[in-house]
Amino acid sequence: MSRTWVKWMPAVAVPAVIAVGVLAVPLQAGAATDLPEKTPREVLELVAGSDVDTFSGTLEQSSDLGLPEIPSTGDAQAGEFADALELLTGDHTVRVYRNGADQSRVQVQDTMSERNLIQNGSDLWLYDSADNTATHLTLPDAAGAPTSPEKAYTPGELADTFLAEVTPTTIVSLGENTEVAGRGAYELVLTPNTTDTLVDSVTIAVDAESGLPLGVQVTAQDAAEPAISVAFTSLSLDAPSADLFAFTPPASATVTEETLPDTTGHADKTRPDVESSGVTVVGTGWDAVVLMPADASGAGLAELTASPLYSQLTEAVDGGRAVSTALMSVLVTDDGRVLAGSVPVERLQAVAAE
Amino acid sequence: MSDNTTAASPGVTGAVIAPDQGPEPRVMVRAGGAWALLVSELTVLFRRRRTWALLLALAAVPVLIAVAVRLSSQDPTPGRGPPFLDQVTQNGLFVAVTGLIVSIPLFLPLTVGVVAGDTIAGEAALGTLRYLLVAPAGRVWLLVVKFIGAAVFCLAATVTVVTAGVLAGLALFPIGPLTLLSGDTISLAESFLRALLIAGYVTVSLLGLSAIGLFFSTLTVVPVGAMAATIVLSVVAQVLDSLPQLEWLHPWLFSHYWLDFADLLRQPVDFSSFGANALLQGGYLLVFGALAYGRFLTKDILS
Repeated sequence: MSRTWVKWMPAVAVPAVIAVGVLAVPLQAGAATDLPEKTPREVLELVAGSDVDTFSGTLEQSSDLGLPEIPSTGDAQAGEFADALELLTGDHTVRVYRNGADQSRVQVQDTMSERNLIQNGSDLWLYDSADNTATHLTLPDAAGAPTSPEKAYTPGELADTFLAEVTPTTIVSLGENTEVAGRGAYELVLTPNTTDTLVDSVTIAVDAESGLPLGVQVTAQDAAEPAISVAFTSLSLDAPSADLFAFTPPASATVTEETLPDTTGHADKTRPDVESSGVTVVGTGWDAVVLMPADASGAGLAELTASPLYSQLTEAVDGGRAVSTALMSVLVTDDGRVLAGSVPVERLQAVAAE
Repeated sequence: MSDNTTAASPGVTGAVIAPDQGPEPRVMVRAGGAWALLVSELTVLFRRRRTWALLLALAAVPVLIAVAVRLSSQDPTPGRGPPFLDQVTQNGLFVAVTGLIVSIPLFLPLTVGVVAGDTIAGEAALGTLRYLLVAPAGRVWLLVVKFIGAAVFCLAATVTVVTAGVLAGLALFPIGPLTLLSGDTISLAESFLRALLIAGYVTVSLLGLSAIGLFFSTLTVVPVGAMAATIVLSVVAQVLDSLPQLEWLHPWLFSHYWLDFADLLRQPVDFSSFGANALLQGGYLLVFGALAYGRFLTKDILS
């Protein structure tokens, strides 16, 4: 009898060992890492002082917004609207390469296809392997762009400014130290100071060594799992190979040349444009609601409501149609106004009624 | 199962029962030793007409695709039909990739299921199993040899699809530098290297299924039963993999990474799915190898 027992031993032992291994690895990864104690202000200072601009890494994005699943092989009519929604709602693996401010490449990996965005100096390429199309844009000369005023601040001052701005509406604290992509990280937790928002908390993992943000998680009210989670699964701070950025579209691809509207010098004017169109923000902080009057939305809205996805996504509520997701609600009123915010639909209806 | 047969098992005790000088020439060859057993297993496998019929059927898949695309009046449109089909007219090498994509869900598991399910049960059905165990190498080695045979068949099957695809592409379409998913173009030499990598990936992908087939094969003396069970399981795994409600289960299904060989067509090559797949298949290999070990070493060999 004992001999039979011995021979079945491996069949029991192997799954047991695998089970132990599977359970132990996440535990180890989740274990609090030993990092020097810091205050939230010091971690913010670390982020502001980060000067990492060469890295290559893989990002995992997962979203659980409570939106209906968008069929990935949608009809052509759904078009770009569906594309944008798909990026928001689906789970993605994205490889990111960056070499200084003027060379970067982002690869969104889909099954059997890939979307690429390559910036090399003033050349910007978009390539989609699913339909084998490439788009080329020439960016305005970076030297002409005004340097951002933030450059004048020291990291410490930036951290102070940020804290002063967010403190009335947000509680900034530190969570337990974690490990992201094998690196020790501090966890900044931003918690809204109001209950009138759908956001429960925003968590930002900050690399203890370089100050680079390694991951962001947004958790909705009453949810156990984050609604949006983006985090590095692997990261290297070495400069990526230079030929990654030298992109030539494949000979068989359909190439479109597009030009950016010339915005140099008009940068300040875009804002008044938006304001004169009548877009207003009601409230400040987390429960703010963006209100777009009927005449401003115009043709764009008509196009959107004509899309077959529109009726699939929205549901009829008092005074219009609404989309409510875990983190955001949008209300299109019957008279054509659009209201959006990270708030419950009831608040949008209340604002619309005002 | 019972004690007396286990004790009599030559594989465990090392005792050699007087060799039965049967009429089977195959057994004579195999009596030579451990390596001779492996050589003979492979020779027998690749001398069988059935093996060649399976490989021929696999080779027909990419050839059919190539001929169909060549004969059709209009080029395939992107986004319709299997992935990469629209690329075939521009570069014949994609015939091999499309052939693999089409073969992976059914044809490859089917042929591997037939070979792996037949390993032990086939010998038992033919009445040759006990002769094989006469060799001093023993039951464990026989299991290992049988698994190696199935693994070599996985490699042969994958290489057949890739080679037939490349040859059909070469004959019917222009062949040149290959466009990767990332939009980068690589030289012909490097594209053959990628094709080899993909063949390796798909071979590794099928090892878990081979181990499952081997285990099923130790359970029965009816080879068709083991084959059918293996093939059915591969279909069930793929069905489960397509249900979003079972998302937690997906990374544990042996078929989960089957189509992720496309990661080898990115620039730079993404080996993460290769690693994850190898780890998963290794796990299946260990678990079902251990189950097959337990079953085969405690089994009454009556035929």
